[in-house]
Amino acid sequence: MKYKSSIIKSLVAFSIIVAFTSCDKQLDDLRDNPNAVTDIDDAALFTKATRELFLGTSGVSAVSFAGHYGHYFVAGSTARFPDQYGDNFDLQYNQMFTGMYGGPIKHIEEALFLTLEGERENEVRHAIAQIIAVLGYAKLTDAFGDIPYTEGGKGKTGDIITPKYDSQSEIYKDLIARLGNSIKVLKTANPERGYGPSDFVFGNDMDKWARFANSVRLRLAMRLRYVDISFSEQTVAQCLNEPLMEENGHNVTMVQTEGNGNPWFISRTGFPSIKMSTMLIDQLQSTDDPRLPVFVTPDGNGQFSGMTNGLTDVAFGNSDFANKSDIGISLSLPESELYLMTASEVWLLRAEAALVYDNDLGTATTLYRKGIETSLQQWNISSDLITTFLASPIASLSAGDGELKIGTQMWLALIPDYFEGWSHVRRTGYPEIEQRTADNLDKGVTNGVLPTRFLYSTFELSSNKTNVEEAIARQGANAIDTPVWWDKN
Amino acid sequence: MKRLLIMIALLGTSLFVKAQITMTGNVMEQNTNVPLLGVTIVVKNTQNGTSTDFDGNYSIVANLNDILVFSYVGYKTKEVTILNQNPITVFMEPDLVQMKEVVVSALNIERDKESLGYSISQVQADQVNVARENNVMNSLSGKVSGLQITQSNTGVDGSSRVLLRGVTTINGSNRPLVVIDGIPINNGFGGAGSSGGIDSGDALADINPDDVESISVLKGAGAAAAYGSLGINGVILITTKTGTQKKGIGISVNSTFTLTDVFLTPDLQNEYGTGAFDQFAPINADGRPVLDYPFSWSWGPRMEGQSYTNWLGQTDAYLPQGNPYKQFYSTGHNMANTVAFEGASEKGSFRIAVTNESAQGIISNNTLSKQTINIRGTSKLTKDLSIDGKVTYINAKVRNRPSLAEGSANTTLQLSLMPRDIRLEDVRNNTINANGEEIKWNLDNTFNNPYWAKNNVKNTDVRDRFQGHLGLNWKATPKINVTAKTGLDYQTYDNVSHAPRGAQAIANGLGQYSHGSGNFGIWNSDILATYTPRAKNLDLSFSLGSNYRSEFGKDINVWGNSSKVPEFYNISNYLNTFSRESRSEKDIYSFYGLAQLGYGGMIYFDATLRNDNSSALPKDNDSYWYHSENLSVLFSRILGIEGNVLNIGKLRGSFARVGNDTAPYRTQAVYTIDQTVTLPYTVASIPSSLPNFDLRPEISESWEVGAELGFFNNRITLDATYYQTSTKDQIMAVPISGASGFSSKVVNAGEIQNKGVEVLLGLVPFDSDSFSWNLSANFTKSNSKVVSLNEGLESIVLNNLQGVSVEARPGEEFGTLYGNDFLRDNFGRKLITNEGLAQKGERIKMGSINPDWYGGISNSFRYKNLTLNALVSVQKGGEFYSYGRAYRMFFGTDARSLEGRETGIVEDGINENTGFVNETATTAMLKQFTDIFSNQIAVNQILDATNVRLKEVTLTYNFPKKHLRGTPLQSVSISAVGRNLLFFYNAAEDIDPESGYSSGSTGTAFEHSSLPSTRSMGLNLKVNF
Repeated sequence: MKYKSSIIKSLVAFSIIVAFTSCDKQLDDLRDNPNAVTDIDDAALFTKATRELFLGTSGVSAVSFAGHYGHYFVAGSTARFPDQYGDNFDLQYNQMFTGMYGGPIKHIEEALFLTLEGERENEVRHAIAQIIAVLGYAKLTDAFGDIPYTEGGKGKTGDIITPKYDSQSEIYKDLIARLGNSIKVLKTANPERGYGPSDFVFGNDMDKWARFANSVRLRLAMRLRYVDISFSEQTVAQCLNEPLMEENGHNVTMVQTEGNGNPWFISRTGFPSIKMSTMLIDQLQSTDDPRLPVFVTPDGNGQFSGMTNGLTDVAFGNSDFANKSDIGISLSLPESELYLMTASEVWLLRAEAALVYDNDLGTATTLYRKGIETSLQQWNISSDLITTFLASPIASLSAGDGELKIGTQMWLALIPDYFEGWSHVRRTGYPEIEQRTADNLDKGVTNGVLPTRFLYSTFELSSNKTNVEEAIARQGANAIDTPVWWDKN
Repeated sequence: MKRLLIMIALLGTSLFVKAQITMTGNVMEQNTNVPLLGVTIVVKNTQNGTSTDFDGNYSIVANLNDILVFSYVGYKTKEVTILNQNPITVFMEPDLVQMKEVVVSALNIERDKESLGYSISQVQADQVNVARENNVMNSLSGKVSGLQITQSNTGVDGSSRVLLRGVTTINGSNRPLVVIDGIPINNGFGGAGSSGGIDSGDALADINPDDVESISVLKGAGAAAAYGSLGINGVILITTKTGTQKKGIGISVNSTFTLTDVFLTPDLQNEYGTGAFDQFAPINADGRPVLDYPFSWSWGPRMEGQSYTNWLGQTDAYLPQGNPYKQFYSTGHNMANTVAFEGASEKGSFRIAVTNESAQGIISNNTLSKQTINIRGTSKLTKDLSIDGKVTYINAKVRNRPSLAEGSANTTLQLSLMPRDIRLEDVRNNTINANGEEIKWNLDNTFNNPYWAKNNVKNTDVRDRFQGHLGLNWKATPKINVTAKTGLDYQTYDNVSHAPRGAQAIANGLGQYSHGSGNFGIWNSDILATYTPRAKNLDLSFSLGSNYRSEFGKDINVWGNSSKVPEFYNISNYLNTFSRESRSEKDIYSFYGLAQLGYGGMIYFDATLRNDNSSALPKDNDSYWYHSENLSVLFSRILGIEGNVLNIGKLRGSFARVGNDTAPYRTQAVYTIDQTVTLPYTVASIPSSLPNFDLRPEISESWEVGAELGFFNNRITLDATYYQTSTKDQIMAVPISGASGFSSKVVNAGEIQNKGVEVLLGLVPFDSDSFSWNLSANFTKSNSKVVSLNEGLESIVLNNLQGVSVEARPGEEFGTLYGNDFLRDNFGRKLITNEGLAQKGERIKMGSINPDWYGGISNSFRYKNLTLNALVSVQKGGEFYSYGRAYRMFFGTDARSLEGRETGIVEDGINENTGFVNETATTAMLKQFTDIFSNQIAVNQILDATNVRLKEVTLTYNFPKKHLRGTPLQSVSISAVGRNLLFFYNAAEDIDPESGYSSGSTGTAFEHSSLPSTRSMGLNLKVNF
């Protein structure tokens, strides 16, 4: 009996030891998430960030806000509320803010982190990723003003969960410097060090990347024209010393092949629909612009009939919205391209620079006409129509009308990047968007004046309180009519 | 031989000296006349005893004037003096109080209730299987103190919110653990989100009330420590029936049929119809009015029968069209039939039960069909070794679970917002146009033709669930008992939903299809050895056990849009297809020890020590210890004051420290691969929640004290408990600034303290053979306070709906409602604009989802064979946000929106510019729209959830035994049953406070266009052969 019990005891002891060790092993095996990987080629993060940036041009910042603020179109039903200059969009403000950081910024920060040093160190990939990061941060600061920059998007790479805000002036200076570094690297880069098959933008054409980086630098430099003219001018000069985007083959485009394709397709065919603005149609019609049928679909009667921005509810109800002109087919097929930057914008930026920095109307005119021509070519306008349009008075500058004409053409050339369009309008004041005074127009919270930024959301105000309050103290009230630093018009 | 002689001598002596007689007779249950098997009969003050046989018959030798004592577990002991009657038929009266004395406690150990140091409530089978609910949990509502059950109005097989002693964790489900026959089962919650979805039910819906023997609710962590971290929110132990020895052939039938109908619908106005600004909508080129914001609202002209163009573009008379709910919804029904076969012998027992359930909701194509087969067997393999096995198989098919909340196919949303002049018949007869497109009353994707939705937006889910266990019990020595048990709760599911082309709201008119399938389960194995030494006056027992648990699941989903041919539901038929897959597994192994010490039936002490090791925690922190101590003191015995007045007096106390792990895969930094189908390159994503490599287990510490008192032979009983729980180091995903690139970070932080009082009072005002009255009342006051959150974090938004959020903020109750107030001056007066409109002000606290207290009063009257039970449930306080009402207010359909239609509304407040009292009237439409929609000021739609409802009524007639004589019937009872019959009081008036769209922790916070509340009435028949 005693013998038997000691056997039982040993057996129990043995099985407990076996159980312990095998259990521990089993638990450890289960710690690996079967739905994810722990290591990844940074190229997959670059593609993520870049795609998010492209898709962002058709996101809520464009559909709900910039498209209205830029007076490109009017959305139907409750989707047009931002067009009434209200600021009751806390969820959307938060969505745009966190969407940018959680989309392009987070993934490009990780790619930058991985390519900076260690086994994935790669100065070429790093330089390209910098361009994407710059575009992401530029969009954020253009939308909100001061933003977390040096500490932004670094929850994982820097373990920072309450990032401090930087002033827009400092952000812009650093963005321009980053692009300078990228251009230096990319000019002499070995294409084999690039993103390989993941470079869906330029297929490892380093020259195109360098031109793109330099063109973004030009855009940012011109943005500072009214606030830091010397830095702006000096940077523009640097840009002109390096190759820029010059032809539509340099354009930065993407076709969304996943899911339902280009999101503007849904805006044309679904609900709430989008109707193009009276202001846009009037501009195109009054100048016989051949891009009219590209940007606007004729209504049921074959006419181009626009919607007026900012109508009150009563006026809107009586506006026959349903029968107005839709967004153009070319802009809104499932396979329509999305744009981050085009050569036509670059030509027009150069025209503006020539006009204001060199005071050279002749060069400005040449560059301006090049910009228009490139834009028309971008939309496959026939050469006959291009010739005709270039022959019309709108296609040449004369003393005094240069800024208005360049500004207006820039407004058109930026389609369908409506967010850039709104930024352009804010910066230059062209085309002029008048204060709303008529009875049938809503004045919103800005007394009818075009909104100039998005609000910091209440969530950000609570989760990053100290830092965001510091930014508000520096920048001005958290209101949609507080201009961002570079906005002086 | 010698012995025999002595015996004969003794017998002879007694026979002759004491004139012994052989008494015979029959023992039956009072009222039901069911013969009782195994009733112990002893001659008082002797060793002479016997017990009843199968038919309740007995025979015993006794003397004249001897007293026979009849005793039987669960019945009141009865004494009969032998005079000249023979046979003696004895009717034993069930002792409801007595019956609860032996309770199933932690680890399924049957314990004397008086020995427990923590609060336990037990509910018997007839309390859940007469007025039968599809979800057995709903039957517990109002019956158990500390248990808060909120049923959702989400269609048949919907889920229920179950909270035991309130909320303890911020991120956890807070649902108690459910254990069936010792095997923990899956207990997820269901429900939709605010933007829509369906309630796919919860795992508790599959517990068949007809198979339930008893339900024990173990409230405190003191009991739960035995179950590890799963038990942190308390434990509901369900014991299912095993075969018992029965008279007759052992077949029992239980049938219930109930009808369900709408009993509460929102009050709609019948004076103003379609339009805005008191005008009809402009007419579009197609001849139909502008069917868009705001013209598709009910802010048009007064309906006086005038001619107008209706929503279809037809000339019509402009008139109100009655209550659309009553027209659209129909009477549902529910039928459940169970046949059980059972038997038992000395060698073992078996029970086989088959249940068929079918139900139809108030939306006529929302149906349930469910079959449950339950096989249970026990066998004594040897004298020392017995085996217990069970297999339950459940197959349930539910069709067309209703779309909820803001879902585009939510029929209630449509019915409540459609302009009041729209004739429902027209809506039914005009669902699609010549192009096959949905005919809508409003162009917005949210708003749809309710008949189109009902006829076209379909879903079917099928689940197959297997629950089983196999247990061995080995009496190694008389003092050592070893049990080993392994059990599985395994469910596969297959969900299909589809909608045809033609509705803009659904994939932009392309139609869609979705098919998800997967499985999940818990496999649980235990081994437990118990040593029970014998000692005089001491009850001792020591146990050592080990447990291994694996929780696993996988899910595969494919979906697509743009169908190639109509009415063919296969992924091959869709042009654009998408897919997703996920798997998870978490294992935990544990060791535990239990000690029970008792002295002289006067004092009992239990202690538990447990160690868990979880794969969800990082390797260095994956092991955690916890313990519990429970003390029970029967002071009435110690002080010797037990008697006719105080028949029992017990004080109890319990302390427990319980650890908890978390969901798997929160401790690893990973990249997910984006599901792309066209791209020649890889896209990866970083998850939105930051992992934590140093996660520690969260710790919950709780204590409780309580008293159980019984007076006048338990004619008055009182059970009261005070408890306090503090859960620290909570594992939660705290929201972080989006500028970090992430939306949350998993941390150990914060503390929730909840405390409360539970009282259960039992009264037996009348008790005689022909009439008795039992009253039971329970009361619970529970409060969960957020002591702290992560440092620097002001609030965690637990849930939100249209500008109103349920939050956890330090120093406040968990589940505090926040929303926008009106803009006010320092004196609290509203600041009004020149246009006469109020403005948006600060976000303020508007209430709390937690009731001040809740409880139930249950009355049971028995007159001869007739029993009437009535349960009234009460909730005092607690608030919820009715976005359904808010919506109806600015759409102008709600009866309350009639205010100021003609005159305009002069807001009470002062002009913000002049400082004078506002005298400018604004239109009612503009006011409601601005306040509710634009400014999301919810003040007027935060409603008081106080209500008193007649939750359950049953009237049962037990056929007298004599009427059944000569038939194969052993017993027959028939009951009329009703559930959720009426409100005695409802502060929210036309809205049922129990009509959330989710059964999560904060599910009661929001009502959003819920299906109308229903009541059910029907019959239950129980027959034993």
